[in-house]
Amino acid sequence: MNRIEKQLVENKNNNIKSLVAYLVAGDPNMDDTLSLMHGFVDAGVDVIEVGVPFSDPIAEGPIIQSAHDRSLANKTSFEGIIDLISNFRKKNTNTPIVLMGYLNSFLKNQKAFSRFDDIGIDGVLIVDAPGEYSLKDLGISNANVVSISLVSPTTTKERTKKICNASSGFIYYVTLKGVTGSSNVDLEEIKSNVIDLQKNTDLPVMAGFGIKNKEQAESISKVADGVVIGSYLVESIFQAKKTTDYKKIYNYLSEIKSVINK
Amino acid sequence: MKNKYSEPNSDGFFGSYGGKFVPETLMEALDELEKCYEDIKSDSEFQKKIDKDLADFVGRPSPLYFAERLTEHFKGPNIWLKREDLNHTGAHKINNTIGQILLAKMMGKTRIIAETGAGQHGVATATVAARLGLECHIYMGAEDVQRQSLNVYRIKLLGAHVHPVESGTATLKDALNEAIRDWVTNVDNTYYIIGSVTGPHPYPMIVRDFNAIVGRELIHQSQASFQSLPDAIIACVGGGSNAIGIFHPFIDEDVRLIGVEAAGQGIDTGKHAAPLNDGEPGILHGAKSYLMQDSDGQIMATSSISAGLDYPGVGPEHSFLKDSGRAEYIAVDDESVMKAFHQLSELEGIIPALETAHAFAPLDLISSEFNEDQNIVINVSGRGDKDIASVAKLEGIDLE
Repeated sequence: MNRIEKQLVENKNNNIKSLVAYLVAGDPNMDDTLSLMHGFVDAGVDVIEVGVPFSDPIAEGPIIQSAHDRSLANKTSFEGIIDLISNFRKKNTNTPIVLMGYLNSFLKNQKAFSRFDDIGIDGVLIVDAPGEYSLKDLGISNANVVSISLVSPTTTKERTKKICNASSGFIYYVTLKGVTGSSNVDLEEIKSNVIDLQKNTDLPVMAGFGIKNKEQAESISKVADGVVIGSYLVESIFQAKKTTDYKKIYNYLSEIKSVINK
Repeated sequence: MKNKYSEPNSDGFFGSYGGKFVPETLMEALDELEKCYEDIKSDSEFQKKIDKDLADFVGRPSPLYFAERLTEHFKGPNIWLKREDLNHTGAHKINNTIGQILLAKMMGKTRIIAETGAGQHGVATATVAARLGLECHIYMGAEDVQRQSLNVYRIKLLGAHVHPVESGTATLKDALNEAIRDWVTNVDNTYYIIGSVTGPHPYPMIVRDFNAIVGRELIHQSQASFQSLPDAIIACVGGGSNAIGIFHPFIDEDVRLIGVEAAGQGIDTGKHAAPLNDGEPGILHGAKSYLMQDSDGQIMATSSISAGLDYPGVGPEHSFLKDSGRAEYIAVDDESVMKAFHQLSELEGIIPALETAHAFAPLDLISSEFNEDQNIVINVSGRGDKDIASVAKLEGIDLE
């Protein structure tokens, strides 16, 4: 069984809410990304989403856009990200890893895609791939890699069904109409939408886009199977002056993990 | 009998190109737009309204003009000019915005956004938004804001807001990124008027259909002027809206269709904006098409003397027409474009936009492929007023 499926099913059975954490590979550099990933796991993160930087990230707000730009200025390549995951797997063979990025990056690296499971990549979340398409429809298939799709507040019931059918791993519920890191989350609307979504799927539902603080995370995890934290972490990593400042980020993640399981 | 050309298919693909590759939040908006467009397409009242606006506000039909001195100069085929430069706002862009703003109004949207490169689409959008009293926001790369300052001021005079985009390469592609982000955020009340035959389905189809008035007029005008269809049609290609607009009604006819891309500093230098000549298929801004990208799939910076062609992608229908062999795509460099710019100004008294000058630059090479009783038509997609300052600067002339 795929690590994502295993971990999330296990959490669901034990009534544990999952914490998904996002960072951009190569920001500020690959060594830091690697140590941050291990730090995330020690802080209680259940799934790591590794952002694949793209020149034209249309779904990202200013925080993650800038991180993509910084990473590309550091010459981050797809091959470099593969090495990052291989290095991570030397010490950690359990934590699920999802690559999150844009379709053109994956299409251009189809060869690597067929080796994803060997390398230790468990799933992909392709922001600009239509959710009703399977990976095979997109021409990038790997039977052992799950395809995570987004469902948004504007997704119709009909599409929700199609997307749930084509997805595996978990469903990522986009908590707002907007780009990543926006601030207009409406907790009550999110909850009722997540409950509707759960009627269409047995897959765990993770909610993200714009979740920053403990109150939001706690409230949303009352209904969702977990939360995704992205922009807040990316900004904190950017603000850290030295690697010892990462400790604050790990403390924050531990607190989130504990409030969602209160 | 040959099947009638009917691209795109119901999923929005021209062959394998096009589609809808956007963040999930926009999928419903695209479906809504598609349904609404299908409704108005067969609504004769709506079509009458567009025809009236095109006649009374834009000044259509645009003339088909015989370029006598240009013809004499090249000693080849008769050269005819389709005068889109004479439209209100000075380019073909208004054909599309007139149609899309009526769609927006019908859909009950109150806020209009658009991206612009050279500023022509920004002006054309701000113009129709002003006329209908709709709030309007134009995204423009910070570099383009600099080199097209006249159009920036025109947009502001029309009451629209200009948002300079600093991210990425600060040109047209980044303006598109930012417009898409705005749309994702304000999808409930906002209509995005895309300015070229790019972006996710149904935009490439809608923008083409609204621009196809140019080709439809040309059918009648060429019959009236030289009693046959043209032997060839030439147009510049950035995203490709003026080219597809004049090509489309001729796809099933025996007419050579020639698109001209921007070779910038030269194809060999890699510093150009010619994805059909030197790119590979990939996905950008919601559609699959030829792109300028590196081996890792990152979109490359482009280079062109003209802001309007300075874009790493191209409309998906052009990719399809290239692969099928139905249209030919060539590229001309900045130097030959400048030569053509002066030539048209001096021989015909028409100062073209730098984008448009690309369509004239290949005449040197191409005219020998035709004989003297053949007729070729060049789409004069826009006038050069907006470029005067930058041409002067390029040639070291101080206008201050």
